Amino acid sequence: MRSSDEAIIVGGRSNLPVAASRSTIDSADEDATIIPPPLRKRRAGRTNGKGRNLYGSGLPWILPALVLVIGMIYFSIGYTGWMSMLDWSGFILSPSEFVGPENYARMVQDEVFWRAMWHTAIFFVVTFTVQTAISFTFAAIMHSQIHLATVYKVVIFVPNVLAPAIMAPVFRVIFDANGSLNGVLETMGLGSLARPWLAEDFTAMAVVMLVTIWQWTGLSFILFYAAMSQIDPQILEAARIDGAGNLRTLWSIIWPLCRGTTIALATLGVIGSLKTFDVPWLIANGGPNHATEFLGTYIYQTMVEQKEFGYAAAISVALLVLAIVGGLLTRLGNRQSEGT
Amino acid sequence: MSRDNRSWHRAGVGALAAVSLVALPSCSGEASGEAEGSATSGDITWWGWTPDKPLADSLIESFNEEYPDIEVEFVSKPISGYDAVLSPAITSSDGPDVFNVAPGSANGGVDTFEAGAIDLRDAVSEELGDDWEDQLATAGVEGLTVDDKVVGLSAGSVYSGSLWINQDIFDEYGLEPPTTMDEWKQVCETLEAEGQGCFVQGAGNGAFDMDTFEAIMENIEPGLYARASTGDASYTSPEFVEGMEIWKSLFDEGIMQDGAVGLQQYPEANNAFMSGDYAMVMMGTWYTQYTVRDTMVGAMEAAGVSDPEPFTMVPIDFPDVAGTGNTGNYFGDADYGLAVNGQSDQQAAATTFALWLTTSEAGQQAVANTLNDIPSLTGIQPEWDDIELVEPEAQLEALQDLTARAAESTEPRFATIDAALNDAFQEVLIGVARGQTSPEDGLATLQAVSDEE
Repeated sequence: MRSSDEAIIVGGRSNLPVAASRSTIDSADEDATIIPPPLRKRRAGRTNGKGRNLYGSGLPWILPALVLVIGMIYFSIGYTGWMSMLDWSGFILSPSEFVGPENYARMVQDEVFWRAMWHTAIFFVVTFTVQTAISFTFAAIMHSQIHLATVYKVVIFVPNVLAPAIMAPVFRVIFDANGSLNGVLETMGLGSLARPWLAEDFTAMAVVMLVTIWQWTGLSFILFYAAMSQIDPQILEAARIDGAGNLRTLWSIIWPLCRGTTIALATLGVIGSLKTFDVPWLIANGGPNHATEFLGTYIYQTMVEQKEFGYAAAISVALLVLAIVGGLLTRLGNRQSEGT
Repeated sequence: MSRDNRSWHRAGVGALAAVSLVALPSCSGEASGEAEGSATSGDITWWGWTPDKPLADSLIESFNEEYPDIEVEFVSKPISGYDAVLSPAITSSDGPDVFNVAPGSANGGVDTFEAGAIDLRDAVSEELGDDWEDQLATAGVEGLTVDDKVVGLSAGSVYSGSLWINQDIFDEYGLEPPTTMDEWKQVCETLEAEGQGCFVQGAGNGAFDMDTFEAIMENIEPGLYARASTGDASYTSPEFVEGMEIWKSLFDEGIMQDGAVGLQQYPEANNAFMSGDYAMVMMGTWYTQYTVRDTMVGAMEAAGVSDPEPFTMVPIDFPDVAGTGNTGNYFGDADYGLAVNGQSDQQAAATTFALWLTTSEAGQQAVANTLNDIPSLTGIQPEWDDIELVEPEAQLEALQDLTARAAESTEPRFATIDAALNDAFQEVLIGVARGQTSPEDGLATLQAVSDEE
């Protein structure tokens, strides 16, 4: 029987204990998955030699967290699920009517809901792709010998710590029909490009994406930078010896070794896109005419402005399901690519 | 499933059910109509999104001259989150004794909070007599009554249907206020040629789009807009098609500023007008307060104007855009009403305050003098002699005319528009303005939503 301190390296050549195989895992077998051995039966616990359990039951130890998690999260989810089958204004003293799955049926037929879904999908694809490209490239550059590297790191990360509520008015001024951007274009003789950026469907969504990319690229950069720091220099040196140039090394060595980070960012991106609210709401108010509507903004409008708590709860449940499915799919995609 | 797992499952479901029973919306609904506590002394709290704190404090100060033993504290809550904070508050012992309500299903709407308020019918009847409804503005009574229950009493009303102009800009370019569509276009062409913005509207804000559209409809056929909102007329009628075409022409003919649908009325359009970037704006009677020198200075500073010099702001009738001659019509609702919390242990004192502010001459005079609302009690006018206007000679007559005509209006603004129709209006008006929806299709959508009601 294998001890709990052992691990099997699947997909690689090693079958050594973890400590002995660490460098091998870090270098040649990055694709390998570490599978812990089967856990021993916890019921046995650690004994004092006379068969008495020194730790006792684990329940008292996890009870506070369990109560908190069940009370704060799972109850809320369950309650939202219940609300999604009500026709209710949200005021506790107001009567509610049980309508069963009616809110879900309405949701499926709701054109704005599907527009919000489409916006979420396209928003994720564009922002994730652009953020990843910029932050990966920038992280690679920062690992080379350049002057004022620290300054550049701060510059790219600062947007991440600025609250959207603070920056939204600034962006509204910039992209207003009479705003700074159009003023600059006019001054440069490019007046024909000036337009009411926030009043047209395509440009309004483009502004929302731009602001999101501006805000979150810093975080992606930090994670890629950290991932690159973990790469064994010997691998890069070996690539150089084999004649790989900068781009070849970047594409064939560094990018695959950062795949875990990319997958993590993709998972966060999917969930973040589904939860997107502040930027489209504060900058474009979900408009014009739902052109920048996301599930989050639509839930807010339905619940707070239209007082349709039941319908808003139904959309919330859909959002939760999508977030779970999205997270699982990215994990599944990662595992499948690791298996190839 | 193991025995242990089944136990946990049962325990979890039981816990969820137990908490659900506590938290689920109750069907109790009706609050007590019996007033509790003393009517002449107490310590009460008043929650509302309006008026501004200084104005509210001045109203309370006037109230205490008559009722020194009732201490009132005003707590200002932002309108955007009003429902969210009020809902739990008025079901707790620490909630407000008096709270603002608005018509319909808007934030603070009586449709939502009716269940948390006492019926004030007997109290107001006792105060003003059986003909109390005749003594109060129609907009204030109907909008705050739900199924014969007087949920709130209107402190004052706001009316829309007018334009406000910067008279100084008009004088500078030798222009007269427009009275027809052609004149409006001509004025805008002239101002634009001079590099001066003409008319500004935050058309991304559906409520103000509805104001402009209702003004157009009032010009085409007075009362038709309100009748359609109650199902007594069809949105697909030729009159509405004409109204929708006129609405679209405001965008196509260069009256609305570029990018109007990307702008909000507050703060952007308001700030643009207050800073002199534009000469005209679609606002209602609430804008009267900015004709006062000090208030205007504050508003200009808030709009980002450094070292502000107040300008002459004057209300004008919405132009005769349909060529019918039906101009000068106003439509409005109660700006805010006062409701008494059914959970309050000081309902008598709270009722005293609510009645004083909304039905007494002293209370209504205090409201009138704020220029924020048209008083609910008929016959009350602001004491203009005590109000320092920016340019009385140019403003006074127009303001007196505005307040008098608005007070006589019986047409509702939003009171008969429910949330679904409100949302549909916003989509249709912006869709038509941008050419994404034809007037006929847009109106068919409105009718479909109306038919579902």
